Amino acid sequence: MSSESSKKRKPKVIRSDGAPPEGKRNRSDTEQEGKYYSEEAEMDLRDPGRDYELYKYTCQELQRLMAEIQDLKSRGGKDVAIEIEERRIQSCVHFMTLKKLNRLAHIRLKKGRDQTHEAKQKVDAYHLQLQNLLYEVMHLQKEITKCLEFKSKHEEIDLVSLEEFYEEAPPDISKAEVTMGDPHQQTLARLDWELEQRKRLAEKYCECLSNKEKILKEIEVKKEYLSSLQPRLNSIMQASLPVQEYLFMPFDQAHKQYETARHLPPPLYVLFVQATAYGQACDKTLSVAIEGSVDEAKALFKPPEDSQDDESDSDAEEEQTTKRRRPTLGVQLDDKRKEMLKRHPLSVMLDLKCKDDSVLHLTFFYLMNLNIMTVKAKVTTATELITPISAGDLLSPDSVLSCLYPGDHGKKTPNPANQYQFDKVGILTLSDYVLELGHPYLWVQKLGGLHFPKEQPQQTVIADHSLSASHMETTMKLLKTRVQSRLALHKQFASLEHGIVPVTSDCQYLFPAKVVSRLVKWVTVAHEDYMELHFTKDIVDAGLAGDTNLYYMALVERGTAKLQAAVVLNPGYSSIPPIFQLCLNWKGEKTNSNDDNIRAMESEVNVCYKELCGPWPSHQLLTNQLQRLCVLLDVYLETESHDDSVEGPKEFPQEKMCLRLFRGPSRMKPFKYNHPQGFFSHR
Amino acid sequence: PSRASSSLSLQAEVFQALQRLHMTIFSQSVSPCGKFLAAGNNYGQIAIFSLSAALSSEAKEESKKPVVTFQAHDGPVYSMVSTDRHLLSAGDGEVKAWLWVEMLKKGCKELWCRQPPYRTSLEVPEINALLLVPKENSLILAGGDCQLHTMDLETGTFTRVLRGHTDYIHCLALRERSPEVLSGGEDGAVRLWDLRTAKEVQTIEVYKHEECSRPHNGRWIGCLATDSDWMVCGGGPALTLWHLRSSTPTTIFPMRAPQKHVTFYQDLILSAGQGRCVNQWQLSGELKAQVPGSSPGLLSLSLNQQPAAPECKVLTAAGNSCRVDVFTNLGYRAFSLSF
Repeated sequence: MSSESSKKRKPKVIRSDGAPPEGKRNRSDTEQEGKYYSEEAEMDLRDPGRDYELYKYTCQELQRLMAEIQDLKSRGGKDVAIEIEERRIQSCVHFMTLKKLNRLAHIRLKKGRDQTHEAKQKVDAYHLQLQNLLYEVMHLQKEITKCLEFKSKHEEIDLVSLEEFYEEAPPDISKAEVTMGDPHQQTLARLDWELEQRKRLAEKYCECLSNKEKILKEIEVKKEYLSSLQPRLNSIMQASLPVQEYLFMPFDQAHKQYETARHLPPPLYVLFVQATAYGQACDKTLSVAIEGSVDEAKALFKPPEDSQDDESDSDAEEEQTTKRRRPTLGVQLDDKRKEMLKRHPLSVMLDLKCKDDSVLHLTFFYLMNLNIMTVKAKVTTATELITPISAGDLLSPDSVLSCLYPGDHGKKTPNPANQYQFDKVGILTLSDYVLELGHPYLWVQKLGGLHFPKEQPQQTVIADHSLSASHMETTMKLLKTRVQSRLALHKQFASLEHGIVPVTSDCQYLFPAKVVSRLVKWVTVAHEDYMELHFTKDIVDAGLAGDTNLYYMALVERGTAKLQAAVVLNPGYSSIPPIFQLCLNWKGEKTNSNDDNIRAMESEVNVCYKELCGPWPSHQLLTNQLQRLCVLLDVYLETESHDDSVEGPKEFPQEKMCLRLFRGPSRMKPFKYNHPQGFFSHR
Repeated sequence: PSRASSSLSLQAEVFQALQRLHMTIFSQSVSPCGKFLAAGNNYGQIAIFSLSAALSSEAKEESKKPVVTFQAHDGPVYSMVSTDRHLLSAGDGEVKAWLWVEMLKKGCKELWCRQPPYRTSLEVPEINALLLVPKENSLILAGGDCQLHTMDLETGTFTRVLRGHTDYIHCLALRERSPEVLSGGEDGAVRLWDLRTAKEVQTIEVYKHEECSRPHNGRWIGCLATDSDWMVCGGGPALTLWHLRSSTPTTIFPMRAPQKHVTFYQDLILSAGQGRCVNQWQLSGELKAQVPGSSPGLLSLSLNQQPAAPECKVLTAAGNSCRVDVFTNLGYRAFSLSF
C-alpha cells in the first residue's frame, strides 16, 4: 500500500522509510539527461532476472533476520537489544529493497502494458484500413457488375434478322464494310434501319386510317339511300296488290302469314318455318296456315321476369280476384289446372292432301306452361264416307295417328319435368285431357324442334330447327302412308261387313279360281275380350297384343264347319302384318294346341305374309290374308281323311288338285297354292 | 332416319316373334362327345346347344340359347342322326353331312350332300327317317317316295332300294341281331326287311287288329322302336307292344292321343305325341308317370347316353314350339333350351 501511494505520488514522495527514491533517481538520471531521475530508465537497464534473484535473496535475508530477532527476543538479555536494533536496521534496508523491487516490477508491468497497447492500436488501425479497403473493393466490384449487366433499351427491340437486314437495308444504312467487322456499328446500323422502317409504316398507317374514314362515310351515304328506298318499295307493293290478285300470286298473303308467324311461340315457329320450307321444296300437296288470335298472342308477351313462373302469377291473380269471396278448394285447383294446361292462342294448321283427294288436317298447339306441343287430327275425304261399324276406330281423331312411330302412343307427356308440375295441381296424367288438348306425340315435339333427353330433365328445352328439319320428310311420308292405309282399310271393312272379301285383280293369282268357304262375319273386338279368348294365349304371352292395337273377329264358314279368326291389327299396318289366331269348330274344337294343321294354317297367314302383300303400298295384305284363310279352310276340309268307322260320304268331297295329301312326321295338309298350275303342295 | 329404322326393326322384331311362335322342332341328335345337342326345325335351321353349359351350376339365360344356328336345308329338317364324327341331317329329299367339330364355328359348310335316286320328279319327296347300320357302315333313308334307300357311308353310293310300302314311310328301327330293318308308314303297315337279301320278310298291318285300331285317328304308323324280339309302335292306332315272331299284340297302352315318338329305356317305354306330356310306361301296360313339357305337342325324344359325358345324361323332348325341354331326372322338367 505504501508503495502504491508512493507510485502515485512518485515525483513528490517524501514519506518512505528507506532512502528517498528521488535521491536514487537523481543519481541515475545524470547518465541520461542529467535533469531528473527516471526510474523507468533505470528499469530498462536492470535485468529482470537478476531482480528476481535479488528479490528472492532479500526475502531470504528478511526471513533469516526475523528468525534471529525472534531468537534474540526469546533469549532475552542486555546486548540483545543492540543485536535486535542492528538486525532491525538491516531488515529496514531489505524492506526498502523490496519496495524498490516492487516499484520496478510495477513500472515494468506498466511499460509492458503500454507497449502492448500501442502495438494493439497499430494493429487495429491496420485492420480498419484493411476492412475499409475490402469494402471499397466490394463496392467497386458491385458497380462493375452493374455496369456489365446494363442492358440498353435497344436490345429490347426485335430487330430483323441479320440476313434480312443485309438484304433489305439500303447500303447507306447497312454500310456493310463498316458493320461487318464492328458489332457496335452493326447494331447501330440495324437500329437505324429499324427506325427507318417504323417511320415508313407509321406513314402507311395514317394513310390507311384516312382511307377507312373515307369509306365509312361512303357507306353511310349509301345506307341512307337504301333506307329511303324502303318506303318507296312499300308503296309499289301496295299499288301492285290488285295485279297480284289478278294473277293469282299471293305474295302478300304469304308475307302477312310471316308477320303473324312472328308472334308464334318458338316451337310452333320452328314447325311453321320447317313445314313451309318442306312444302315449297319437296311436297306441293302440303299447305301451312296459322290460326288463332294475334291480339291475344301479343297480350301474352310480357317481359321475361314475369313469364317465368306462371304458377305464382296465377296465384297472385287469384288472390286479387278472390278477395271478396274465397272459392272452394276444388275450384281453385281446377283453375290452377286450367292455367297449367293453357294453350297458346295461336296454332299452326297443316293440310296434307293425298292422291285420292282425301285430306289430313293437323292442328298443332303449344302448351305454354308445359313446354310441349300437341296435335289434333282430322281426315276428310272427297266424297262422304259411310263408316262401317267395325271401322269406327280407323279414322277417329283419337287413334288415327296412334303409334305412327313404334311405341309413340301419345298418352303421356314427353317432357319429364311436367310430372312435378302435375303433382302440384293434382293432375294424374295427361291422357285424361288429350281429347280436348290434342295428343303430345313424340314426333310432334321433334317437328317443333323440342328434344327431351331421357337421362336428365333439362332446365330449358329450346326449339331447334335442325331437329325439326331432320324429321320432317320421314314424318310427312309416314303420315300420308298412314292416312292412305287407313282409308283403304275403311273401304275394305265396308266390304268385309257384307261378307265379301275384296280381292283386287292384281292379287287374284294368289288364289285358286274357286273358293267355297265364305266370310260371314267381321266385327271389332275389345282388347280385354281378345285377351280372354282361349286360343290367343300364345300371342298375348309373346307380347304382341298390347293396348295400342286394334282387334277384330272374323268368322269363315263352310257347311257345318265354322272357323273363328281373331285378328290383331297393329297401328303400323301394313308394314307390320296383322296376326291371326284360329279356332275351328268341326267334329270337335281344333286350335293350334291340339291340331298341327291349324297351326300350319296360322303359319301360312302369319309367317308367309310377305307373299300376300300385293303391290306396294301393300294395302291388300289384310284382305289377301282373309282370302287365303278361306282357301286354307277349303283345303283342310276337303283333304280330311275319311274315317272308315263312320258311315256316309265325306261332307266335303275333294275338289282341289293335290299331289299328296299328307307329308312329313306331322302329316301336314297341302296348303301351298301353286300358280299358274293350280295345284296344292306342301312347303 | 333413326325413326325409320326403328319401325323397320319393329317389323323385324314382330316377324321374328311370329317365326318363333310357329316353329316346330322335328329332330334332335346328340354329339359323339355327349356335350352338345343338335335340333332341326321346320325352317330348315339347325341349332347346336351346349348341354354341358346349360347343365352346369353357373348356367345363365344365355346358356339356354344355341351356341350356333345355321341354315342347313331349304325345307324342314325332319330327321338327324350322329356317327362318331358326323351329324347327318335330312331335309327335302337330300341328306347332308356335317363335321361335329366344325359346326361350332360360324359359317360351317356341309361335308357332302347326297340325294337318293327318286322315281318321280314332280315333287321332291321328304326324308322322314334316317337309320345307321353300324355293322355295314351304311345309312338307311326313308320317306316320301315310299321306299327305303341304303347308302354306303364310305363311298356315298346307294346300294339298295327296298320297295313295298304303298304310302310314305314315317319311321325306321333296327333289329341288331338279324340284321333287320323295321319300317312304319302311312299305309298302316310295319314291314320287316332283311338287309342281306334285301327282301321284305314280315308285314304287320296294325290297323287290321281290332284291339289296337282306332279308325277315327287313321291307320298311319308314326313311331317305331324295337328290342330284338319285341316291337312297340304307335300313331293313328293305339300304342301297342308286339311280339315279333308271332306277330301278336301283347300289350295295348291306354293312350288316346296319337304318339309320334317311342323308345325303350331300361325297363320302361317312353312315348310322346299329341299332348304336352312325356309318358312313361311299364312293360305291363301301366302308366308309370306323365311328365308335362312346355310344348303343346311333342315330336321327338332324345336320350343322351354317350359314355363320354355322364354328367350330361338327360332326356330332351321337342315338338310344336321353339323349345327343347330338358329332363335331368325323368320325374320333372328341369328347364328348356330355346331357339
